[in-house]
Amino acid sequence: MCENNNNNNENKKYYRILELKPDASFLEVKSAYLHLKKLYSSKPLVMEPIMDEISEKTRLKILDQLEEAYVKLKEFYTAKDQKKIKTAKERVARHNVPEFEVFSGNALRLTREVLGINLKEIALYSGIPISHLKNIELERFDLLPPIGYIKAFLKKYAEYLSLDSQKVINDYLKRFDKKK
Amino acid sequence: MKMDLKDDNKAEIWAVGGGKGGTGKTFLVSQLAASLASKGKGVILVDTDFVGANVHSFFGIRRIPKTINDFFEMNEPLENLMIDVGIKNLGIIPGDYRSINPGNITHTQKLKLFRHIKKLKADYILLDLGGGSSNDTIDSFLLADRMIVVTVPEVTAVENLFQFVKKTYFRKLKSIQGINDFEDTVREVWDNRKIHRIKNIVDLVQHLKESSDHINSVMTKELADFSLYLVLNKVKNTMEIQEGFSIRSICLKFIGFETLYAGYVEYDSQLWKNISLIQTTPRFNVSHSIKKDIMRIAENIIAGDQMNISSIRNV
Repeated sequence: MCENNNNNNENKKYYRILELKPDASFLEVKSAYLHLKKLYSSKPLVMEPIMDEISEKTRLKILDQLEEAYVKLKEFYTAKDQKKIKTAKERVARHNVPEFEVFSGNALRLTREVLGINLKEIALYSGIPISHLKNIELERFDLLPPIGYIKAFLKKYAEYLSLDSQKVINDYLKRFDKKK
Repeated sequence: MKMDLKDDNKAEIWAVGGGKGGTGKTFLVSQLAASLASKGKGVILVDTDFVGANVHSFFGIRRIPKTINDFFEMNEPLENLMIDVGIKNLGIIPGDYRSINPGNITHTQKLKLFRHIKKLKADYILLDLGGGSSNDTIDSFLLADRMIVVTVPEVTAVENLFQFVKKTYFRKLKSIQGINDFEDTVREVWDNRKIHRIKNIVDLVQHLKESSDHINSVMTKELADFSLYLVLNKVKNTMEIQEGFSIRSICLKFIGFETLYAGYVEYDSQLWKNISLIQTTPRFNVSHSIKKDIMRIAENIIAGDQMNISSIRNV
């Protein structure tokens, strides 16, 4: 508990350095880090009016702080993701998941429903918009993005449901090719 | 004008300022007023730009019976000055655009005006402060519940903006009550900043807070909810949109001013036509996408929120 608290306080400091609220997503952390790193390493025109108020030492210190904040928060988010996958895996172990010969969109949906996982949860974990996840399950192939994206989406989806992601991708894409 | 209001409402005051002229203060405040009114809020827009009043023109109004000058000179109640601009839930109190000696309003007169403004019945009262970073303008700015600055992504405008933001923060510091001779202390420390090795306002605040526990606690309390909303106007591309976060970062890290990037308004190549002399009468038309930009700014200010840095790539 104590360790957890400590960790939160540390994180608060890092969010402040990156000028974010503590409920920021990893995407926000990354965007803020990249933006601020560029701002404080290149002395752009926007800094010109305030240049004499910023010492070189301060500027370099900010860059160091940004680096530390990003590395630490990245670790934090990775650990959080792994924890989520672990919970999902435990859930799979508890449920009687039906076995499918072929992972069609429908089979994916049924598996997900047996596990009691909703699309919002997967969307939150993977960053994939719900509309895409729905289209995958409903096999609305004409509405899906290019194939590289579909592969990446299926991989995330399968991971979250603890399915064999390679088999899911192969099965699904075979159906995709046939329909096209 | 028709206005549906609850009686027990205390109006929230929004002021738009920001240093340089021509950045779109009057444009923004007029559009924000119309946007809030379209959401069913009762809005009164007061033209407190004592030097270059022209809010009325933005709404296509050409003749005004009475201006804020009648309040100062004839004790006319503010309600009587309000004119209908043909937008439901919105009334405007026009500024004095005829006087050739308009800056002549004393601080006492202004304080009286603000006392009366606060008593107006509305959900939101919006103030157009006009350009410049004079102490007078900044004092009016500090009286608002929500302080909004608008600038354009140009180095000259940003220079003026930082100056305005710094002056605003500095005046706020000096006005903090509950510490003996605090105003003199702030001034003394700042004037001797080289000796104290102070480079910017953040250093100044740090220095003052370290001087005693009492000062620290009073300052922390007084500055807790002190924040600023930033709007970037006339942006032409994604890179310029992102500069809002650069400006915010500098305000946060070197001025110490809690700043929220409320949003941007895209550059519209047709907008000049609204108030161009080629028209027979000024118009109040903006494109759908500008309306959306304004709506987002209003929503962020209401919620005390800002733009999401990770969403900008998708704009």
